[in-house]
Amino acid sequence: MRHKHLWMMVLLSSVVLLMAACAAPATAPAAEAPAAEAPAAEAPAAEGPCAPATEGEWAGVDPSGQTVIWWHNHTGSRDEQLTALLAQFDECGITVVSQSQGGYDEIRDKVNASIAAGEQPAALIAGYQNDQAFYQLNDALVDLNTLIDDPKWGLTPEDKADFYASFFDQGVHPAFGGQRLGFPPNRSMEMIYYNQTWLEELGFDGPPTTPDEFREMACAAAEAKGDGSGGFILRDDASAVAAWTLAFGGDILNEEGTSYVYNSQATIDAMTWLKGMYDDGCAFFFTEGYPNTEFAARNAIFAMGSSSGIPFYATDIQTIAEQEGRDPDEWGVAAVPHTTPDPVQNVYGGDVMIVKTTPEQELAAWLFIKWFTTPEIQAEWVRISGYFPTRAGTAEFLGDYINENVQWGQALALLPYGSYEPQLISYQATRDAATQAFNEIMQGADIQTTIDALTGSANEMQEELMAEVE
Amino acid sequence: MSTTAVGKQVRTVTPARSNIFAGRQGRKLREALLAYLFLFPAFLIIGLFGLFPLLFAAYQSTLVGLNRIVGRYDGLNNYVRAIDNLTYVLFFWLAALLVFMALRSIMQARRTAQEKQWAFWIWAPSGAIIGAGFILFVLFIFRALPAVLEVPQLMRARGGPQASFQQLLAQALAAPPIQQALWGALLFIVAGIALHWYIARRRSPRDRLHNATGVFTGAAVMLLSAAYLLWLTWTEIQRAYSEALEAGEGLDIWSQIITISAGFLLLFVAWQLWDSASHRQSNAGTALRLGAAAALLASAWFLIGELPRAIAAGDDTWWYGLLATLYYSMGTIPIQLGVALLLATLLFQDIWGKSVFRIIYFVPYIAPFVGTAAVFRIIFSSRPSAPVNAFLRSVGADPLAWLNEPAGIFQLMLGDALTLPAWAAGPSLALVVIIIYGTWSFVGFNTVIFLAGLGSIPRELYEAASIDGGGRWAQFRHITLPLLSPTIYFLTLYSVIGTFKAFNHIYVLRTAAALGTTDTASVVIFQTFKRDTRYGYASALAILLLLIILALTAVNNRLASKRVFYG
Amino acid sequence: MASQTTPLAPPTAGKASADDGRNGPRFDMGQILTYAVLLTGAVVAIVPFFYTVSVSLMNLTEATGGAWLPRAPQWGNYEQAWRDASFSLYFMNSVKITLITVIGELVFCTLAAYAFARMEFPGKAFLFALLLSTLMLPEAVTWVPNFITVSWLGRIGPIPWINNWPALTIPFMAGAFGIFLLRQFFQQIPNELWDSAQIDGAGHLRYLVRVMLPLSKAPVMTLALFAFIGSWNSLAWPILVTSTPDWRPISYGLLAFLDEAGAQFHLQMAGSIITIAPILIIYFFTQKQFIEGIATSGLKG
Repeated sequence: MRHKHLWMMVLLSSVVLLMAACAAPATAPAAEAPAAEAPAAEAPAAEGPCAPATEGEWAGVDPSGQTVIWWHNHTGSRDEQLTALLAQFDECGITVVSQSQGGYDEIRDKVNASIAAGEQPAALIAGYQNDQAFYQLNDALVDLNTLIDDPKWGLTPEDKADFYASFFDQGVHPAFGGQRLGFPPNRSMEMIYYNQTWLEELGFDGPPTTPDEFREMACAAAEAKGDGSGGFILRDDASAVAAWTLAFGGDILNEEGTSYVYNSQATIDAMTWLKGMYDDGCAFFFTEGYPNTEFAARNAIFAMGSSSGIPFYATDIQTIAEQEGRDPDEWGVAAVPHTTPDPVQNVYGGDVMIVKTTPEQELAAWLFIKWFTTPEIQAEWVRISGYFPTRAGTAEFLGDYINENVQWGQALALLPYGSYEPQLISYQATRDAATQAFNEIMQGADIQTTIDALTGSANEMQEELMAEVE
Repeated sequence: MSTTAVGKQVRTVTPARSNIFAGRQGRKLREALLAYLFLFPAFLIIGLFGLFPLLFAAYQSTLVGLNRIVGRYDGLNNYVRAIDNLTYVLFFWLAALLVFMALRSIMQARRTAQEKQWAFWIWAPSGAIIGAGFILFVLFIFRALPAVLEVPQLMRARGGPQASFQQLLAQALAAPPIQQALWGALLFIVAGIALHWYIARRRSPRDRLHNATGVFTGAAVMLLSAAYLLWLTWTEIQRAYSEALEAGEGLDIWSQIITISAGFLLLFVAWQLWDSASHRQSNAGTALRLGAAAALLASAWFLIGELPRAIAAGDDTWWYGLLATLYYSMGTIPIQLGVALLLATLLFQDIWGKSVFRIIYFVPYIAPFVGTAAVFRIIFSSRPSAPVNAFLRSVGADPLAWLNEPAGIFQLMLGDALTLPAWAAGPSLALVVIIIYGTWSFVGFNTVIFLAGLGSIPRELYEAASIDGGGRWAQFRHITLPLLSPTIYFLTLYSVIGTFKAFNHIYVLRTAAALGTTDTASVVIFQTFKRDTRYGYASALAILLLLIILALTAVNNRLASKRVFYG
Repeated sequence: MASQTTPLAPPTAGKASADDGRNGPRFDMGQILTYAVLLTGAVVAIVPFFYTVSVSLMNLTEATGGAWLPRAPQWGNYEQAWRDASFSLYFMNSVKITLITVIGELVFCTLAAYAFARMEFPGKAFLFALLLSTLMLPEAVTWVPNFITVSWLGRIGPIPWINNWPALTIPFMAGAFGIFLLRQFFQQIPNELWDSAQIDGAGHLRYLVRVMLPLSKAPVMTLALFAFIGSWNSLAWPILVTSTPDWRPISYGLLAFLDEAGAQFHLQMAGSIITIAPILIIYFFTQKQFIEGIATSGLKG
């Protein structure tokens, strides 16, 4: 009859648990709806920096005492340090609560589901530019132009000029009447990682700047390694396709920024050149994960990826050298080898957006964005995250950081050469198609046919999606 | 269940009172009410989180719009986008099937009633009225859905009346068409039940006990649904024709419906003939078989001639997705179930170390797929030094690209000797690795259920058999298999459903280098829904997949009904 | 065929039906074959998992270099994974969510399965078909409607569902899989038992609790196990309905950690092993229950 006791135990514990569970919500909802708290105890001052404006679109809106929730994509230690940084924010009694949601995809799903259900998403959300278009189909975002240009709450002309123009205007959407739906808190860039020590062992001075030099070095390393690896780790991501096209003097967007041009001469040249490297064994695929560990273990002399990976490369190179009992290799980051006179670099990154809630919340959220993108705070965020700042004024607060992080400094120097990828509404799907086309080409498909087909299908998809927008 | 009914007759001694819960009929009513009570909590949850999404998807599949829960009505165009003109054939046949099922259920019930001399047609009006009530209720849901789903939009509208959620909901539901459908539904159902009671009171207890109201309710629901489907198909065909006329194009939907229908009918006839041939004597059997072959040929001629033309403008991604799904399903189910049955049988014996083995076999199923999938990526990497390729090299074979290989396996086997068309090249090598992974991880799941099934077989049977001198194989054949048949049936059905819906590990193991050859139907649906936020189109695809699974389940049930044995 | 189900005899001594070959010194071909098959299968089943464990104990160099075994096991990886993934924060949440779900699922599925297996009521076939059809809809299209449902239930009802336990547990408390599985086993139990129970004057509920459940311990435990695994490993839905750590499960910790660990396989694997350890331990200690046969349970009580 022992099993009888077992059942009793199960039943008992279930009752206890259910009671515990029912008791729990008494505390849980505290985190649920902190949104619309009444303004803080002190009566709104008629004067002072936090008093409601008397003119403009935001006249009479009092942001003080609001609690703003921010759904972001940072996890682990970065999340913890971000939370610590936010504790410094002390304007108008506004509190910002950061809530990590995993990644951009998770945020997107949550915001879309919340909009459908009438559940209020966080007032501040992180996401890519093409997400903004999707949200705005439901009229969910605040047009930041009204805030930026506000006489009381807006940015000064000097502030505006301090932001890099190409980042600053990335959140402006012609398809939605020129509304500004996102604001750039940080950026990163598509880079080539190179192993300086190894280059010198092979008799080269430093990193390549042209495709020909790049090829020569990669082939030399591959030959030295002799097992099919050693050269350049190919990256099949759409951002890499865009980066190569830019470096070969082309663009994947037409001049009006309304449709895709994947079949320009630049893309053909870049693909032909990469395919040649691949066929000759100077470039190879590593598909089991990020390439940093392979790069650190000297399985490749070159790797390609986002500049936000610099801290991870640094750690891995240090760790592996220690474990193998040798001195760490000297390494660096360089512009994507280019045929243009100056480098043209693919710069990308998520924005923050303000979701429509109450005017008080929206204004409070904006005040936070304004604070978060001041040069001082941006500099701190850079130290935490390894991202690039989005305004020039940050540099003066980063002198020591640049000295300590040589590679990051190298990358930062390339920021003025930045260009960016499309933010067309279909870009999410087009990214997948471009990645697949790159793989098809490397597997031997005809380059012209493949990229013609890609351009055709991407534009078709764009038209189809725009048709559904109307 | 017939034995249960017989068993109950033992206790028909309750004194007959006027109480409706008394007597045999009363007990039947009591049992039904108790059963509904047992079902209530489960169906409340399943209704909310299983059936509601189903209705929601059906409704949404007729809408179009990006990231819009309530998009613009677009008829069957989402289906047409996916499977082209086959849509009209499909919906026409769905309607025809419903009519057939309704008539068959009435005919069968009528035959039984005639044999036993029960009243039959008298129950038709009450059944029809209740059935209409149910349909009105569904109508109510479909009318209420868009109104209710607009509530979030109203709440977010700035400057409007700041009504609470409950108020807005109540307002939305108060619209006359919604209220009419709701009250109409309730009225019809109540009136139908009242009519049933009225008639039942005037009939003999025997007629009451064997009333056919349920049969007529079901038939009415099916017939009304069929009528709606026919109307929908008809209007959609008219719309397609008028649109084609405006565009100056030709359309031949009607001829396609007729040709394809004829093809499938002949296929059905061929199957019936073949089936009946197996029960006949040699000569008649041969004739029937010849007839079946002829029908098969004719149907093939119709279908091969017409089908490709009818689906030409469909969504290629979707068709390849279905093909990949089919490969995945056919590749995993037989091995998965066969191996699991073997292992479970072996493990059920009293052998040394069985508990260790049981744990080992279960590990692949519980291990999180993020971990094991990463391991499979390493083992089946395209690098020459990766484990599987290293093994191939050691036996003198060329390394393969495995998860990065989009070429079909038949093509790979043939090499360059012959280039096969895409549909004949077989699953890509990348998909084969995923099939291996799927089999590997689900054998443990099936083994555990088989073990539970084996545990439910009384051991005395084996003892009796071993006294009778039955060998191990004979025991397996004559005791284990028949008594395990409910478990086998369950697992087959569940595997078909599971493999057609399989998603997580396929999504994790897909690589860009496989060029989409591993994208099964569920992956296509996921991308359409989440990445593209085309909810309407994704829902239409989901409904199509559901219909396919439903058809397979029906076939499986037909095959199993002869073989499953319940104690 | 019905004659095969003989009325049940009282429990017989332990391993009456055991293999007879083990006691003698002679070689039994059948047994050698059995072990050969079992061992082969075990190797295939365990190698990827073994590799996971092995990598989880490596350092970065070994994990990158494709070694099969660590030179010196790095137990610190587990400590680091536990800490970095904040597992201690999410572990109790997962325990609570899982227990509530499993208990609910067992109660509701048992009742419904019994009704389908042993009771007669109008619309039975229809309801069962309806039940099965809910299994057939791809999950991707159910997330948004289900999110709407839980959000609105929270607004109409007394407690919020989003960011709270109801959204994480109640939708999974009854499922077609569980009902279908138990129905199959309930149907297998001989009818004669119901007849004799009725003569004893037992109603359906008493018959279910006193006779059916003790006889169906193995399937019920199996369902409990699958419910446990499903709830413990669920990821996409919990992320959708929680935005604060209060009720987030351990799988969220793993996801966030995997994202952060990036290319560091050894830490990824250590994190994965930690999340499945509870399932393995529970299964290890209860696995006897899963196959306990009908004859050992008897008919008393």
